[in-house]
Amino acid sequence: MLISLNEIKKYVSVPTDVTDQKLLELIGSRLVEIEETIDLAPRYHGIYIAKVVSCEPIPDTHLHLCAIDAGEHNAEFNQLENGLIQVVCGAPNVHAGMLAVWITPGSIVPETYDNENFKLSVRKLRGYESNGMLAGADELGLDTEHKFIAEVDPKIARPGQALAEVFDLNDIILDVENKSLTHRPDCFGLIGFAREVAGILGVHFEEPAVFSGTERMSKAGELPIEVKISDAELCPRYSCAVFELPKHEKSKYLTHDQVFLAKAGMRAIDPMVDLTNILMLETGQPLHAFDYDKLVTVGEAEAPKIVVRAAKDGEELQLLDGKTISCTTDDILITSNDVPVALAGAMGGKNTDIDASTTRVVLESATFSLYHLRKTQMAHGIFSEAITRFTKGQPATMTLSVLVEAVHRLDVGVLANADDYPGKEKQNVVKITTDEINGLLGTGYSVEEIVKTLENVGFKVEVSEITAQGGVHVSVRGANDQAGAGPNHGPLGLDSESATAPRAETSRQDPVRCSVNTAALKVTVPKWRTDIHIKEDIIEEVGRLLGYDNIALSLPTRPFIEATIDPLISLKTELRAILSDNLSMHELLTYSFVSQSLLEKVGMEVDNSYEIVNSISPELQRFRQQIVPSLLDKVRENLKSGHRDFCLYEMNQVSVKSAGLTSEGTPQLKMHLGIVDLGDFYQLKMKLLAMFRELKVSLEYKQLSPETAKHDSYLEPKRSAEIFVQGQKIGAFGEVRAAVLRQFKLDKTVSALELNLEKLSTCTREMKTKFKLSKFPFVERDLTLKVDEEAPFGRFDQVLVGYFDEKKLIAEVTPVSIYQGDDTATKNLSFHLKFSDPEKTLKTEEISAIMEEITIAVSQIGAEVV
Amino acid sequence: MSDVEKWKSELKKLNSEYAKIKTLPPEERGKFGREMNAKKQKILAAISAAEAEAESTSITPIDISAPAAPNEAIPHVSRGSKHPLMTELDRVIQIYASMGFDIMESRQLDDELHMFDSLNFPKDHPARDGYDTFRTSENFIPPAHTSTMQHRALKKYKRKLDEGGKIAVAIPGRVFRNEDADATHEHTFYQCEGVFVSKDATMGQMFAVLKHFFEAYYGQKLKIKTQPGYFPFTEPSAELLIEKPASLGGKGGDWLEMLGCGMIHPNVLKMADIDPEIYHGFAWGGGIDRLAMLKYGLSDVRYFESGKLDFLEEF
Repeated sequence: MLISLNEIKKYVSVPTDVTDQKLLELIGSRLVEIEETIDLAPRYHGIYIAKVVSCEPIPDTHLHLCAIDAGEHNAEFNQLENGLIQVVCGAPNVHAGMLAVWITPGSIVPETYDNENFKLSVRKLRGYESNGMLAGADELGLDTEHKFIAEVDPKIARPGQALAEVFDLNDIILDVENKSLTHRPDCFGLIGFAREVAGILGVHFEEPAVFSGTERMSKAGELPIEVKISDAELCPRYSCAVFELPKHEKSKYLTHDQVFLAKAGMRAIDPMVDLTNILMLETGQPLHAFDYDKLVTVGEAEAPKIVVRAAKDGEELQLLDGKTISCTTDDILITSNDVPVALAGAMGGKNTDIDASTTRVVLESATFSLYHLRKTQMAHGIFSEAITRFTKGQPATMTLSVLVEAVHRLDVGVLANADDYPGKEKQNVVKITTDEINGLLGTGYSVEEIVKTLENVGFKVEVSEITAQGGVHVSVRGANDQAGAGPNHGPLGLDSESATAPRAETSRQDPVRCSVNTAALKVTVPKWRTDIHIKEDIIEEVGRLLGYDNIALSLPTRPFIEATIDPLISLKTELRAILSDNLSMHELLTYSFVSQSLLEKVGMEVDNSYEIVNSISPELQRFRQQIVPSLLDKVRENLKSGHRDFCLYEMNQVSVKSAGLTSEGTPQLKMHLGIVDLGDFYQLKMKLLAMFRELKVSLEYKQLSPETAKHDSYLEPKRSAEIFVQGQKIGAFGEVRAAVLRQFKLDKTVSALELNLEKLSTCTREMKTKFKLSKFPFVERDLTLKVDEEAPFGRFDQVLVGYFDEKKLIAEVTPVSIYQGDDTATKNLSFHLKFSDPEKTLKTEEISAIMEEITIAVSQIGAEVV
Repeated sequence: MSDVEKWKSELKKLNSEYAKIKTLPPEERGKFGREMNAKKQKILAAISAAEAEAESTSITPIDISAPAAPNEAIPHVSRGSKHPLMTELDRVIQIYASMGFDIMESRQLDDELHMFDSLNFPKDHPARDGYDTFRTSENFIPPAHTSTMQHRALKKYKRKLDEGGKIAVAIPGRVFRNEDADATHEHTFYQCEGVFVSKDATMGQMFAVLKHFFEAYYGQKLKIKTQPGYFPFTEPSAELLIEKPASLGGKGGDWLEMLGCGMIHPNVLKMADIDPEIYHGFAWGGGIDRLAMLKYGLSDVRYFESGKLDFLEEF
């Protein structure tokens, strides 16, 4: 929404010490988020009103050679002998005697400002020198009209005057973020916006007549009209007035109204429409005009009976723009004698539009359910200034006042009027104490400050039970605190450097005592504030208008007890250090939403994934069941960009539908770790072992069960294992199936791991109590076992470790190699043994005895020492 | 003859002269011995100096700018990387935890109750549309803000209020918005929520807590300011801005919008069985992606979830 600062100033007298810059800062910090401020002055620099003194056609062209007079500015440019300026003009309406708008050489055409920045010069056209140009309203950025040049009414301007001065263009336009005013329908009108500005400045706002005036409409004629609202929920109030269409011609001049509309980003249409638009911009209340006689004829009746009702499914209506829409039951229709004549709040119907034949109009001023209009807006793609306002919930209390104002400005006699108002709400009254206000804000505002602040913006405040009290219970600012608002402090905080000055901090443990009186307030909410219902709403008004930036900072106190971090979060932090820092893995984040095809590629059941019904693309249609598929999806791309032998991991939430719901009825989510390693099973196994060694948790593996193989469908069952921690299965890892690798266009061995981190986050870490230290020398021996090809390595490893344990020897059994020849049914397992007796030095014969016993022990499980 | 050999032969000669000591009268032997020892020490020092010099000429100097010696394999030291978003998130968590906030993680699939109803969004209110939420066919919601956890956090820690304490929780998590990704928008991003409830919570405390957080995060004193905001679940509501810190190249006068915040709406407390007449609270939520983008000067948010090692290896 575009807001003119000059228009605001027409309603509010801004204190002289508040510069525009300061005012914008205050508006930005206390009212609305300003996306951009547009300074119009430089756009209209060097543009003057000029009188066309003579105007001669240039033969064989559509051009005219003009001599113009821009008063005192003539001397700044190339003058003709008679002191005038020569300009060539091609517009058909250029004529001697008119006041035109002259863009001087060296000035930028406003329409192109901030774009191509087209700068005019002195140049020759058909051999004639032309100094700048006479501008059309389009070139001035004030209209779309481009055939004619703009003509200015001599009653409002004289030659040589700056265009900006005549049309109030030395202005600043605020482009405000509508979203930050979603709850403030009143601020979607200049008056409401200005009222807030007054409140921020601590100035009382004088309500203009349209807001303070009576709601009575004097009737001058007798014409039948009837209005009936079918459901107050859809339409709390519908007011309308009938009058003769005023025969105002569209002015040939550039008008103030046109400029006013242009500043708001709108265009002038005709006097009747312009007035409704201007009133909407001023009050926030949209108006709509129907042709009265067409309202009668569409229903083939004697008189219009207007009914506001929900549309029937499939009901059709041709709109003003010519499009025919098919309604849903969410749309609201205005009907006349049960024929739809307008899509409420959005657009009028073609069948009742104002045209050349119109003599009498019905002007509608109504308010509708914002929920329904929101749906209408979305369903039919209508984003007008009017519907933008209606969808904020315009107050029903205002419809008639605005209608009365419209009739007054049009200066017409009312032939008929109607006002159905089934949605009357009782006036909101909020009871609150000043202690409650100061208590929640952390301020020490006086009763007087609070009352004045509220009254400035139209609240009525009844004060009772004033008691003088030492305000020790309130966390207050000290009297000499620079940012504090003491009793003498203006609401602007202007006594400090700026509204954004750094705040002083006070310590809550040591409150500075200051005398703050307290009172019970009965606050009557003005009729246009439909958003104020509870105490906190009043507190927000006070805090915001007096400036949140003026609230003194004070930290809450806390006892000396530790904060608890969710163990899953701590585990992730710990794993991140192990995996990235120790094991050289790369942490990835991939989307939680995956494609159906990704699930299919890894052989997962698509329907076990939650489906996103309004997904952005098919790539993001399913909530992922595991992390590994997303990582596999990133391998090829990274290989292509030249990375080799990498290992990727991610920790994130996953969900499967088959896991069901939590006790609160939401999907079961699990925190998983996924790893994808460009290497075989054994390489990943070594990394896994290193990870668990760091975590101080021991793990066990088992061959992949058929159930896990189905679940972790991308793993090759023959080359994978399940992982158990303290008796509980927490995941699986192994090599990825060849068929899956083909799906990802990968032609090398890739291994993957998927772990549920929940168990790991709470399992007991092992405290190391055995150390491989001995006071006596260690003996080192190499041992090679010849075993059957099929015999598992772990069997022999276990026997060796078990032997040393049993003998109470301190030992390290390190695998050295596994050798298998080409054509033999056996393989050789080599170990390096290092052992020591903690009680004594082993003698040679004792060592021989140990090696002998080992030979016997392994031979019992089918190994031959070589 | 090398220097070392020369000195060694000197030493030999000296050693042979020791025999003379027997020929001397006993009163002169002491003096002779001391002189001989001094000479010997000199020669020994000369020998080790000559040896050191000879050794140094035989050592090949290296090219410190080369990655390896000629004909040697270039050693490869592999290193991993942590995702920058997770690094920032960890840092945020550590700061909040050190300030006394319990930490819990946000859910990535939630429901209407937590996402909207418990947060005082009226049924069918257009404000719900403003969040551009995704939905599953069961009408679950991948949440659009970490505020989806407020109700849970309040219920979970309500016992602290009953025990005379306060609720202070920070809730990081991944959230989702149904909007097309571009350089500054991602449909998937991270936020951190804060929730604080006590008997005497004030807006002044909220601003103080947030100011301290950002000062800890940026390691410097900062100025803050506010602008009005609107959230159905806080009243009053505000947007918090910080003056661009020097570490981000701020020169004063530039402001960064960091988060939305406000005093918890009484209806939100009521929904969690906390009496708003007795307790007050404040809450806030801000993006982590933005913190990381500002910190590393990144211009395209889409790198974060790209899975590109070219990008990630930089961290």
